[in-house]
Amino acid sequence: MKKLDLTRDLLDMQVVGRDGTKMGRVDGLILELRGDLPPRVDAIEMGFAVLARRMGPRAERWLAKLRRWSVRRTASQRVPWSKVKAIEPHHIQIDLDALETPAFAWEIWLRDHFVAPIEGKREKSG
Amino acid sequence: MKKALALTLGIVTSIGGFLDMGALATSAQAGASYRFQLLWTIGLATLLVIFLVEMSGRFAAATRKALPDAIREHFGFTFWLVPFFVLSLSHLLVLGTEIGGICFALHLVSGLPTSFWALPVGVLLVTFLWRSTFNTIEDSTSLLGLITLAFVVAAVSHHPPMKDLLAGFVPTLTAEEPLKYWGIAVSIVGAVLSPYLFYFYSSGAVEDDWDSSFIGVNRGIAALGMGFGSVVAMGALVVAAMVLAPRGIAMDDYHQAALMLTDAFPFWGFLLFAVGLGVACLAASLEVALSMAYATAQTFGWNWGESLDPREDARFGAVYTGAIALSSLIILVGVDPLKLTLLAMATEAAVLPFVALPFLILMNDRKLLKEHANGWISNTVAVIVLLLALVLTVVSIPLALLGGGG
Amino acid sequence: MSTPKIHFEMLLGRMVRDPDGVAVGRIFAAHAEIEGGDCVLREFLLGPGALLERFGFPLGRWRPTRVPWDLLDIADPGHPRLRCSAAELAGRRP
Repeated sequence: MKKLDLTRDLLDMQVVGRDGTKMGRVDGLILELRGDLPPRVDAIEMGFAVLARRMGPRAERWLAKLRRWSVRRTASQRVPWSKVKAIEPHHIQIDLDALETPAFAWEIWLRDHFVAPIEGKREKSG
Repeated sequence: MKKALALTLGIVTSIGGFLDMGALATSAQAGASYRFQLLWTIGLATLLVIFLVEMSGRFAAATRKALPDAIREHFGFTFWLVPFFVLSLSHLLVLGTEIGGICFALHLVSGLPTSFWALPVGVLLVTFLWRSTFNTIEDSTSLLGLITLAFVVAAVSHHPPMKDLLAGFVPTLTAEEPLKYWGIAVSIVGAVLSPYLFYFYSSGAVEDDWDSSFIGVNRGIAALGMGFGSVVAMGALVVAAMVLAPRGIAMDDYHQAALMLTDAFPFWGFLLFAVGLGVACLAASLEVALSMAYATAQTFGWNWGESLDPREDARFGAVYTGAIALSSLIILVGVDPLKLTLLAMATEAAVLPFVALPFLILMNDRKLLKEHANGWISNTVAVIVLLLALVLTVVSIPLALLGGGG
Repeated sequence: MSTPKIHFEMLLGRMVRDPDGVAVGRIFAAHAEIEGGDCVLREFLLGPGALLERFGFPLGRWRPTRVPWDLLDIADPGHPRLRCSAAELAGRRP
């Protein structure tokens, strides 16, 4: 039975997707309270909204205001525990493709709106 | 053989890393106002930074992780938040300083105002970072940076009085206008012990794929790279002492510094100064912008790496682009580069304890570093750095406002 | 019918009090076990000792205060409550 410390070995760890891409960090953990049974980790959470909540209610409200200009549709992303495949010393491996998740919404937006047009122009002129 | 090449390149790059607007400006100011009296400050700060850079490289080589990554992972977001915030603030101010340096150099050779160059320089920097790999940046800027050796050549050619020069390495604790003296001393320490320097170094080591076999090479790079850079800064101090001090020029304005090399190099001196300054600041701007991007991307767990295609790490690219844009804006609106330099150096000194403490704690983690954790010598230096940093935090910004700027 | 869920990270740094309001210590760490496919929480660690252990310092005199999962009511993460008294908890320590 593997023992771990939720704060040392899970929280704030790098999250890596199926294809090896960095997807973010474990910014939060959802615990399920089961009454007579010990609590279990239900899901890991990633996202600025989770970090804002950790910083305090004012930060949370501030971020909510900024999100009006955001590209992502969700402020945070939950990955159910069943999708966690491995807990390595320096990262958590999850069974999802980075592109399947909201994590890469900004990457894709920036790519489509800035990188691709610039690269495209260069190919045309070069 | 490959290690020898890495050693050489690393040394040359580190010279560039050491030498930036802050180091040049504060050294020149020191020489102009106090002749050789502040040489000891450069020496002391160099000794401390050699240890910090060595630790940073050793950490990255042993763990294959960069500092911001490891600190967030180990201490958690709540404890990393304040250091990350002040590190970012320091990054932005220093980036503004370096961009200001490039723009000033261009102003010297073109006659067009410094602020005019802010936008073109900003675009140039972003384009360069966007299109290059880490190695291209390292190699090209470091080789160009050798031009700054002109300061050393000039210093030697002035035949400085050896007795006075050597006496400068002995700390003088009282001087005329003590507020100004200590203000410059503090800004020299801030300029040399730049947080971006040892944070960037760890990310650079990861980019270069260092493993524990590089620990020996790393020692050489830290000592020789920082050492040689320090010699150039001392050269700038000596030249200012021989050229500006006798004429009573206190260097309240960078234009006064521009003529520093013309005694030693009558024909080329002006151009050498401008090119040397411009290139040193170019290398530094790229490093600071990247350091900001590394720290941010690693903090939030994004994909990062200068050698990656921008399509794979667009957020990483967006951070350095945004940082350069913001810092260029500071110069565009006409902020005086000299005043900005002094503020940036004071800020670097002030944030040092926040960014050094987690780093130095990590250096003692035997689970993480195993046999490469700090020994008693490194830890003694670490304690000295922290104590010094605490003093600096309290005095640096008040001193900068009261005494430093001349 | 779904079971209550809380945000674990909101517990960190919060002061645990017993039913009489006596302060027991702040939550800084939590030990868990992988049981089957689940990650199950076993105990909470409170106090400066917990922080030192988390950061990898040698503990010396500062040992963390251990609280088994069934003795802590975490339904309200902002105000974790010890289910027994502070004295009883101290008595349990080996």
